[in-house]
Amino acid sequence: MYQKNALRRVRTFLAEKARWIRTIRRRVLGRKCADRPGDLHTRVTFRAAVDAVLPNTPELEAEIGADHVPGGNDVGLAEFVAIYVDHRFQLGLPRTRRNVELVKPVANVLDAAALKLIARGNNRDEPSDEWPVKLFDGTDVSPARIADVAGPFARLSPKDRLRAINVLDEIEAQVTLRNGRFVEFDGGLVGQLVVGFAELIYYSEWQGYPDVTRMPFGQDHANDPTTVQGWRQTGFPGFSNGYPCLRGYLGTETGPLGSGDVWTTIDDRGDAPVSLLEAPGRFRENEYDTDDYEEPYPEGGD
Amino acid sequence: MVADSYDVVVVGAGGDGPVAAWKLAEAGLSVLIIEAGPFHGNEKWPNPHTEPGAEASSDVEDLSGELLDEQFSTREFEMVNRLLFGPADDERGFWMRKFPGDGAILQCAGVGGTTLHYTGCHPRAYPAAIDEQDHWPIEYADLLPYYREVEELCDVQPAPVTAKEELFFRGAAAAGWEFIDEMNVTRPGYRPQPNAIRQPDDRLHVDGDYDGDFTYPDVTGHTLGLGDITGSPHPRGAPFEEKAKRASNVSFVPAAMRTGNVTIRPNAFVVDVTTETHLGDRPTATGVTFRDTWSGTTTEVGAEVVVLAAGAIETPRLWMNADLPKNEWVGRGLTIHFGDNVMGLWKADELEATLGKPTIDQHEGENIAARFDYPGLGMLQTVGTTPGIGAILGFGASASGFSFQNDTEDAPWDTMGRLAGTELKRILSNYRRMIQVLVVSDDRPMKRNGVSVQKGAEDEHGPIPLVNYAPSEADRRRRDELAEIATEILREAGASHVHRSDSPPTALHLHSTMRMGKVLDQACEAYAVDRLFVADHSALANGVGGPNPTNTGQALAARTAEKIVTRYF
Ligand SMILES: Cc1cc2nc3c(=O)[nH]c(=O)nc-3n(C[C@H](O)[C@H](O)[C@H](O)COP(=O)(O)OP(=O)(O)OC[C@H]3O[C@@H](n4cnc5c(N)ncnc54)[C@H](O)[C@@H]3O)c2cc1C
Repeated sequence: MYQKNALRRVRTFLAEKARWIRTIRRRVLGRKCADRPGDLHTRVTFRAAVDAVLPNTPELEAEIGADHVPGGNDVGLAEFVAIYVDHRFQLGLPRTRRNVELVKPVANVLDAAALKLIARGNNRDEPSDEWPVKLFDGTDVSPARIADVAGPFARLSPKDRLRAINVLDEIEAQVTLRNGRFVEFDGGLVGQLVVGFAELIYYSEWQGYPDVTRMPFGQDHANDPTTVQGWRQTGFPGFSNGYPCLRGYLGTETGPLGSGDVWTTIDDRGDAPVSLLEAPGRFRENEYDTDDYEEPYPEGGD
Repeated sequence: MVADSYDVVVVGAGGDGPVAAWKLAEAGLSVLIIEAGPFHGNEKWPNPHTEPGAEASSDVEDLSGELLDEQFSTREFEMVNRLLFGPADDERGFWMRKFPGDGAILQCAGVGGTTLHYTGCHPRAYPAAIDEQDHWPIEYADLLPYYREVEELCDVQPAPVTAKEELFFRGAAAAGWEFIDEMNVTRPGYRPQPNAIRQPDDRLHVDGDYDGDFTYPDVTGHTLGLGDITGSPHPRGAPFEEKAKRASNVSFVPAAMRTGNVTIRPNAFVVDVTTETHLGDRPTATGVTFRDTWSGTTTEVGAEVVVLAAGAIETPRLWMNADLPKNEWVGRGLTIHFGDNVMGLWKADELEATLGKPTIDQHEGENIAARFDYPGLGMLQTVGTTPGIGAILGFGASASGFSFQNDTEDAPWDTMGRLAGTELKRILSNYRRMIQVLVVSDDRPMKRNGVSVQKGAEDEHGPIPLVNYAPSEADRRRRDELAEIATEILREAGASHVHRSDSPPTALHLHSTMRMGKVLDQACEAYAVDRLFVADHSALANGVGGPNPTNTGQALAARTAEKIVTRYF
């Protein structure tokens, strides 16, 4: 049993690796899209990441409502994450943009992580073309073309893609610049970009800008909560100048913190109940004595 | 105009640099502050992110609240990208640092530095962290007069209570913790944050009938609509110095400029510290070289004294890139308050019973206004955020993988780990019924943790900072205990689901990479270089016990400025 599994694992790994090498050749030969960073392989990989992190979730409809169904790929999040990475993560001289292209290395690191996962046999589902092809349903990119360029990351099931993101920390990557300088980065940065930053962008005001393929700088924003999917899904009402939500100041009627009427009592165990009072007070400038200090977890440090 | 030389050059207009500059200028010295990022809210730079603007500003009349209103949109995605550490030019990205794992360093560039992001929390250090922990060569009592000076200038006041703080305080009390009303904390307990934020107008009470637009002069003080992490222009319409959040650009920068002795040169990255060495002697600092971030041209400026205040990553990087004498502790001993996030989720009817409404609404109030102290362990604080920042900080990363990979059967929390997919969307659909508690632990300085540089891995300012950080076993245990306390408080407050992130090391607070007693003497002058001082959080000898560090960093910078005056002028 064990042997059979191990064999199957090695076979899957070799097949995925061979496919990957073939896609690299095709990508080198293939043309770069003029209007967005990276190439089709990058786009497939980023869509696959977004599909795992912020998926379309029909299963949430019955539970919390239809508003919670659409995901990141329904609003162009993957494409923007690529633009974002390209825009914000660059190095070098003023006024020479794009002297380091990070988008492709990011996609390649995701593929490397997928291969690592597969090599260890830690993927739960067999890799398949169906996943990346599905990501382009309803677009004009042909399924054959997708299947052609999709790397091992995009061919994993969504949960396995997350498992692959999880082994990213173990990968060290390097981008070499034209002048021979290099930048090393921890694979964890890639996880941060496709998970952390994707979440930040999705739940932020981003979708409310007139042009979602540009950075927000210089763009107007209507601050209309109904037009931002991430806001609809969290109930965030948009940005506001303020709220009349003051409940008072924590304190005791006998102490220096807080004064005036009690609005509600927080703790009535002691002689002086702790309450929310009408007006603020000041902290006590107390005498202090540290003689009784004990280290809960001793450690000198250096 | 920037002159050829000054009495003192301060590198960095962040949290602490302007404090030193203010004190030095009050003593009558001429001071140049050189800042890598832009100057927001200054008429010399009406479009700070699209054109280079003027060279420098030295007139307090240049400051404009109106421009701050325009430039600080409070839109979280835009503002995070505008403020995070990088050049002013919108067309260019962040300045890179290498950080281990999927953690990150959060620092800002611009006049105000990382206090542009900070939430204004200004507690003092725990006295025991200074007097008992064996790291500091001076005593807590030495800092007291400077704390008072800083607290007065930036209006430190007990923070107001809104729904999220009330819920947290109820939980802390029900869990049996004591209430604290003191400045100098020596025992565990809960209290309001001492915030460098002016209190809200009392007409903003829930029982009031305020229906204005929350602008100045109709209201003064904080307007209770978050915004602190994103620069905070509130109240809109207020003059520059009447903005509620007293970040260093609003508090110390105008005070420094008002002396008439201070010039601020933004968009200028210091790349070298010049020195002179007489035969057989230690080097003496004589000035700095900076590079204009728009044009790339470099300029040298002379000084009697140089003060490094570029923050706990860039100060040691600059030291190393300037080839100043090697010292085994330069860049070492980094503490970051090894942190975590614990989230509580409530059911609507439960909230109705405790708060009188079915939601908590974390987007209302100040970002951080309630705290729990525990000398020896660190602290907890409630955090209200807008949803994007909340998602990335609270759910975007974990040291233990995605939540579906973790078994929490025997753990105090219901789920743990990074969230993605259906779980993420489900949890965030509770955004308005959720509180995030930030766990901030008292991690201790270790030599292995810190900043180094390596030839080849460079940006336009030379080798980039390569940061290493791994908590010790005891650091982990302190953090675990705090996460358990947070969980209990949330449960006592009625949370129906508790989620722990188990965050990877992520640095919002950074200190102790140029420690007093190791790299610096008791006046914060470098042992190895005369007339070179450090006045930022890197000079702190440890992580001050866990409380938010800015009050202590600023108090120490004020003290250092006095030492400079008596030593050299
Ligand atoms: C989201 C968030 C919330 C926070 N909330 C709080 C809080 O409530 N309370 C608290 O106490 N702390 C808080 N902090 C931390 C606090 O902001 C920092 O501890 C504090 O700003 C550090 O001060 P500093 O002077 O050491 O460094 P910084 O404030 O980072 O200032 C360094 C300055 O130097 C400039 N600089 C760097 N290199 C160079 C160079 N080579 N040449 C010229 N200039 C240079 C930078 O651009 C920057 O302006 C928070 C941090 C974050 C990220």
